[in-house]
Amino acid sequence: MSKQFSRRDFLKLAGVGAATTAILTGCGPASRYVKREPYMQMPEYTYNGQSTYYATTCRECAAGCGLIVRTSQGRAIKTEGNANNPLNLGKTCARGQATLQGLYNPDRVTDPIKRSSRGGDSTAVMDWDASIQVVADALKNNKPEEIAFLMGMAPDHIFDLVTDLANATGMNAPMRFGALGMFEARATLSKAAENLFGQASLPFFDVGGAQVVFSFGANFLETWLSPVSYTRGFAGLREARTKLRGKFVQFESRMSSTGGKADEWIPLRPGTEALVALAIGRLAAEIRGGAMPRAFASVDPKDAATKSGIKLETLEHLAEMFANSTGALAIPGGAALGQSNGLAVAEAVLALNAFSDNLGKPGGVYLSALAPNQTEYNRPASAREMQALVQKMFDGKIKVLFVHGVNPLFELPNSLEFGGASKYVSQIISFATFPDETAREADYVFPDHHGLESWGYQRVATGSAQPVLSGAQPVVSPYYNTRATADVLITAAQLAGGKFAEALPFKDEVEFLQSKIASLMSEADGSISALDIPTFMAYFQQHGGYWKMSDGRGVPSAEDMLNRTIAADEAEFAGEGEFFFVPFVSPTLAEAGANKPWLQELADPTTTVMWNTWVEMNPETAHELGIENDDVVKIVSEAGALEAPVYVYPAIRPDTIAMPFGQGHTAYGRYATDVDKDGNIIPRGVNPADLFGQHFNEAGDLAFAGMKVKIEKTGVKKPLSRLESLMGVYGIGLGEEH
Amino acid sequence: MATLADLKISEVKLAAEQTGKWGMVIDQDICTGCQACVAACAMENNVTFVGEVDSGYGRSMHWIRIERFWEGEYPEVKMTPNQPMLCQQCGHATCEPVCPAFATVHSQAEQLNLQVYNRCVGTRYCANNCPYQVRSFNWRDYQRPEPLPNQFNPDVTVRRVGVMEKCTFCIQRIHKAQDKAKSEGREVVDGEFTTACAQACPANAIVFGRVDDPESLVSQLGKQSHGVKHLEELGTLPNVTYFKGG
Amino acid sequence: MIKRIFDWLKQPLGLIAVGIAVLALFSLAAYGLYTTQQPPAQPIQFPHWKHAAFGIQCLYCHPGAAKGPSAGIPSQAKCWGCHNQITKTTDPNSELRFLVKHVQEGTPIEWVPVAQVPDFVQFNHRAHVAAGKNCEDCHGDMGDKSQITIAQNPQVFNMGWCLNCHIETAGQDHEKLVKLSDCGTCHY
Repeated sequence: MSKQFSRRDFLKLAGVGAATTAILTGCGPASRYVKREPYMQMPEYTYNGQSTYYATTCRECAAGCGLIVRTSQGRAIKTEGNANNPLNLGKTCARGQATLQGLYNPDRVTDPIKRSSRGGDSTAVMDWDASIQVVADALKNNKPEEIAFLMGMAPDHIFDLVTDLANATGMNAPMRFGALGMFEARATLSKAAENLFGQASLPFFDVGGAQVVFSFGANFLETWLSPVSYTRGFAGLREARTKLRGKFVQFESRMSSTGGKADEWIPLRPGTEALVALAIGRLAAEIRGGAMPRAFASVDPKDAATKSGIKLETLEHLAEMFANSTGALAIPGGAALGQSNGLAVAEAVLALNAFSDNLGKPGGVYLSALAPNQTEYNRPASAREMQALVQKMFDGKIKVLFVHGVNPLFELPNSLEFGGASKYVSQIISFATFPDETAREADYVFPDHHGLESWGYQRVATGSAQPVLSGAQPVVSPYYNTRATADVLITAAQLAGGKFAEALPFKDEVEFLQSKIASLMSEADGSISALDIPTFMAYFQQHGGYWKMSDGRGVPSAEDMLNRTIAADEAEFAGEGEFFFVPFVSPTLAEAGANKPWLQELADPTTTVMWNTWVEMNPETAHELGIENDDVVKIVSEAGALEAPVYVYPAIRPDTIAMPFGQGHTAYGRYATDVDKDGNIIPRGVNPADLFGQHFNEAGDLAFAGMKVKIEKTGVKKPLSRLESLMGVYGIGLGEEH
Repeated sequence: MATLADLKISEVKLAAEQTGKWGMVIDQDICTGCQACVAACAMENNVTFVGEVDSGYGRSMHWIRIERFWEGEYPEVKMTPNQPMLCQQCGHATCEPVCPAFATVHSQAEQLNLQVYNRCVGTRYCANNCPYQVRSFNWRDYQRPEPLPNQFNPDVTVRRVGVMEKCTFCIQRIHKAQDKAKSEGREVVDGEFTTACAQACPANAIVFGRVDDPESLVSQLGKQSHGVKHLEELGTLPNVTYFKGG
Repeated sequence: MIKRIFDWLKQPLGLIAVGIAVLALFSLAAYGLYTTQQPPAQPIQFPHWKHAAFGIQCLYCHPGAAKGPSAGIPSQAKCWGCHNQITKTTDPNSELRFLVKHVQEGTPIEWVPVAQVPDFVQFNHRAHVAAGKNCEDCHGDMGDKSQITIAQNPQVFNMGWCLNCHIETAGQDHEKLVKLSDCGTCHY
């Protein structure tokens, strides 16, 4: 007789037990017992089980695409593009799709809070009356010049409201900043336009109408300026059904996902973009004959070929392509502008357009249409202007800092020392929707609604031929105890009295919006018009904004453009290492997508990596250094050091390494961060901005790509999650013959 | 009363006689690999995310993914045109005959490959037999903490652990459009609705419609000579046509 | 050890114990089954038959049935639209006092649905109404006083029951039959 309780016996007993449990519980009514809450007052336009659609504006980046949001029973369940909005014509990017994961993110700031010490976890929930009083006191008890507003890049209604407030009271004018603007080098583009066309503006490149497109580092199919609009343009370029298939050539040292679409990818040595552009101009001018433009005259193509690492034959072939095309277009952008000679690069590339004689013509360069209620282009702050703000903070000239729509502790490079300067600011008030790094360092967080819960409008800075003012309205009622920042400011200004109250004499945000769009009501050529403001506002909401029906783009004047000399100097590189360092914005995450789990799980278009940061390295270089896939390396720049696993990337120069920007959050919710074995919150990936030094180009943009770095092996391996199969792509594990 | 047994619904047709109903044309030359379709699909179809570790094991649930391959070596390296890969809704699907639970079946009405979640017992035979590798399996009950479930599309089942899933050609949208057309006493018009991926695509690289209607846009495009069907030589009769471009 | 348990169970006392255990199990199971057939407790014992007797059409309160997938539960504003006119609400024993309470306090009435299909079934009321099905074909005769006050399913909503009706409806129409017996018509 065995005293062992065998496995078979256990299964017998377990089987009887499981069957009994199933009989007793599985069929019981409890599993079917749900409650349904009907409406108390059902809106007239609603039927149970049928969706209601609202037009609004996407707030995931500053482009301002129109959205149609499907809602069902008071929940937002799908976003689609607004087919009527001339900017995006019914299309969205991945971030626009995932905006719902921001709205229903499990890590939002749910109530207004006061933090007992900056950076600490201990917070007390406040009520809104007390919160508004805090804002009112901050406005009233400080000198206006000691109050500063730092805002996101979008030219939206809150920016207008704060501008009005600043103009009336002598407060510091609000500053708009975003990492995307820094990586796009918007100040450089705008400065180049000012120098060459005599007007500060964001140039618009009509990719769709061109026959040949030369892009110098512009990642216009990823996050650049207005990605949905430029992607439509690219489809137009390639549209073989109606015209010849257009050619696309990309010049960059690391193949971006934009570069991956190019017919010819030219890996040039970083810093030689201006030289190459001018050399192509010179060769093209020689092919066409006639007088040599002064802009190109001083360049020696052979010298350019040697310095850039491009064969002279390749340059000649490209020049031929450019010269013989009836619609050649050249685009400057991305890392090419974020170098010490960025302005010269922009000017040299724009000069190519003047040579191609495409200014203000289909397939050429325009000045972006200004939005209907806008009189001049108002660009976001450059990194140098941000540095000036930081200096003011250090000097104790800023007593109160309001932060809305931007996360400077993550988006501004460490070397600009925003964190250090914030210690000299007595009061920091954040309006963050999510608990980001800056909200953690703020004394108060008075959370704004999510974009889909808010009113507003946003000017479209570029991307549409027509002037567009995208309109926003709440598609669902606020999920948490949040309040619109515009409402908070209006009420606080009333409480503060005096000039503040006079500057914002409104009942609420909607009344303010109406006052701002009222002048458009009866303008000619508008998409909507009405005789009274309530009707106009209703149309504005229903259509998702207001736009002009005609082309509003400016024609740049090409006068003397080719007769000026353009410096063809190479860029200077800071730091001592042997590798050029090219940071790029993650095409899927961009600067604020890291807290949306599905954006994290989208495969990067070029590497297919998900959920982490990687370092791209040429296979040859990796082999020489004895580095394999997933080996963690330490990257040292003059400003800092960080560690990340290597992705052996076949399309990058051997003297260059590249890293995506978007990860490395220390706060910003559970999906943006990671936890270690002990359950402590640690960053997910790293932030390459930690390596940036304080170097600027002539236009004041950060020379983020003007760096050389060293690499050290760490001996640690960290497997990256990739969608691609290593077996299928690299033949790993397939045996010798592969 | 007639019973199921009396009816000869699923008469086996020869592969050559099979005709598709819904189809897609994907232009790889203008696909930029931006992932908008992937995100749109996940949002429309309640596709779950699995996290860093499980996705590292290849368990991510993408119903559509964008493939790219490398040709040549630096500096003559070339990225092949982005290739959105999704269920090809084969007319003669290899996943179907291997399912022991009849959960992977062919829809006679819509000519789609169905995955009937309530029948699926999770043998994963279908995924093993799919030459396109477009089926994904729920290895766990993946967590979607409150309030994320608020965005669930009520028209699509939320799958749980142990169930296979894959692209449905947004069958919920097909039914919705058919229902609407029927209630208005008309036929569904070409272009009246489209799948989530095609609707989002900023480059308009994806076109969806009736392949059995010669007048539809997707049929017109499909006739172009440079259209390719993947792994057609296996006799799967895929309903997605690709333009390689270049 | 397990053998000792079995030996003990073979004794007369053991057999009695087993018998009692089996009986207890079965009665519990029977009770479980019984409870599944009971209508759940509702916030208001709503008499469908009275409303039907007044000649109110089903679609008056459940208009969604003709328009889309869900028939819908009426908002309390709809209830109150009639009831603030036609019935005295002061009677302390009237079920209406609950309605009055909900309206006065502005709280939603949390009904417990009885006619449900599982999550993996996509049911559309509109198609069934359009095909000429009457509400009582599935939901039973609401005018029948012997029904418990709240709607009660006259039958279990299972797939065999659905499919039988689909096949009958299709009759000899092959195209219709293909559509109505397709898995993808209800499951996706």
